Amino acid sequence: MKRKVKVDYARWIFVLPAMIIVGALLIYPIFSSLYYSMTTKHLIRPMYDFVGLANYQDVLTDPDFFKAFFHSIIWTIASLAGQIFIGFTAALCVNRVRHLKGVYRTLMIIPWAFPSIVIALSWKWILNGVSGFIPNMLVQLGICNELPQFLSDSSIVFLTLVMINIWFGAPMIMINVLSALQTIPQDQYEAAQIDGASKGQQFLHITFPHIKVVVGLLVVLRTIWIFNNFDIIYLLTGGGPADKTMTVPIYAYNMGWGTKMLGKSSAVTILLLMFLLLVCFIYFAIIAKWEKEEK
Amino acid sequence: MAKKKGIIGNGLCHVYLILLSVIAVFPLIWVLLSSIKTNGELTANPTSFLPKNPTFSNFVHVIEDLVFARNIANSIVIALCTTIIAIVISCMAAYGIVRFFPKLGNIMSKALVTTYLFPPILLAIPYSLVMAKLGLTNTRVGLVIVYLSFSVPYAVWMLVGFFKTVPIGIEEAARVDGANKVQTFVKIVIPLVMPGIVATAIYTFINAWNEFLYALILINSTDMMTVSVKLRSLQGAEILNWGDMMAASTLVVVPSVIFFMLIQKKIASGMAEGAVK
Repeated sequence: MKRKVKVDYARWIFVLPAMIIVGALLIYPIFSSLYYSMTTKHLIRPMYDFVGLANYQDVLTDPDFFKAFFHSIIWTIASLAGQIFIGFTAALCVNRVRHLKGVYRTLMIIPWAFPSIVIALSWKWILNGVSGFIPNMLVQLGICNELPQFLSDSSIVFLTLVMINIWFGAPMIMINVLSALQTIPQDQYEAAQIDGASKGQQFLHITFPHIKVVVGLLVVLRTIWIFNNFDIIYLLTGGGPADKTMTVPIYAYNMGWGTKMLGKSSAVTILLLMFLLLVCFIYFAIIAKWEKEEK
Repeated sequence: MAKKKGIIGNGLCHVYLILLSVIAVFPLIWVLLSSIKTNGELTANPTSFLPKNPTFSNFVHVIEDLVFARNIANSIVIALCTTIIAIVISCMAAYGIVRFFPKLGNIMSKALVTTYLFPPILLAIPYSLVMAKLGLTNTRVGLVIVYLSFSVPYAVWMLVGFFKTVPIGIEEAARVDGANKVQTFVKIVIPLVMPGIVATAIYTFINAWNEFLYALILINSTDMMTVSVKLRSLQGAEILNWGDMMAASTLVVVPSVIFFMLIQKKIASGMAEGAVK
């Protein structure tokens, strides 16, 4: 009897440190933010009052918040679509070619390793409006008459950021799709070929059903990551020019560390979390349906 | 006919992949090339590739005059401490989940994945308040603690996939020979999963090395800055030219890229395992 109690105790020891980390660093902050979102908490001033839902009311009546929210949605959908398209087609090609598979893979994942500060600095330099490689190249090739200002011209800056985000995120999709592709048993393709199925039919009836759950999960993770992303936009444009690239995380940052209103900033981040929970809920319902169909 | 079509398709694939590879690699190449050009050359010939007079003066300037070495040391210490603590905690948790909580384990690892949902900008607010209260703003300890918030869940997730590959029979044999749970874990299981642990550790290190937002919020003294925040603070400085910036960027990005290449195969399988199961 005594021995059994001791054994039970031992197995909890294994998971306890991780549970403490999650509790202290992830669960507690959520409730803490929830509380501060209902106060006038200031970054420097020590005194603050409880104001109920007033911060939420302020945020939800601020047209700038909705502008930022709209930018976030477009930023996420456009980046995600591009990343999936490039990542998916690249994975299919790498899976298909016989030679140089490893070389392509190794070269194409390089962007994934880039720290966000270097993503920003390298692209700022490449796209620099005076001495940047790409603007000067476009002029030399006669494609543009004058040096294009990719990061300060308000009509193209958003597209530029999306392109950079696709460049950064596509490798992760590619690698994951590729490893999912490699789990498909080859004899299914052979059987399909004997039955006279075309490449398109093979893709629709063998490839896609096999990898759709993995791809679905990837889409969920990438959606969250892109929506939450702060670094890339903050470091490349800081939300400008004229708020053209202002997204919700940057709006929250400016409110918290710019105007120092942490209470209001907390309200913004809580709204952000609630929106993501809703999106994930929908995604997971779809994926659960797929998983059921598979069984 | 079908074969001919296959060859054309194959060729098109190669063309597409070469194009994508060039786009993927270009920024790295351009950073490296720019870092060894003089500032005069950078502005005079924006589209020429190879440097006329390769020079390391940008690196010397960055390391000696801007005390970048100190920031590199900060980043190494912080990333290394984060990695060691996170890996020890995560190995225990992953093994515990796989072996001792067969039913509860699935819920536990799903709950861990959910933490991925939490916006870093949301967490940043309580972190900065709590760290200020504890007097840990502007310290490496404070940053290591905060970094555990994203490295532990991720490492557990990847390690669960690796630990699942250990056959239970081996462990039972050890138990029969009189080893207890902890001995079995340390002497039998850990060595078997070592390659997976090393890959996860390297990935954790890269993520801590690359992190920006928390370092921006918690550190404001130049002495304590990590490389990312230091680079960001240099951006505004007038004295700096693009050659220096690219030299500093090289010092930051090259270790990440090299480490990443070492673990690329393991990363994919680890993530896929975690995602599917």
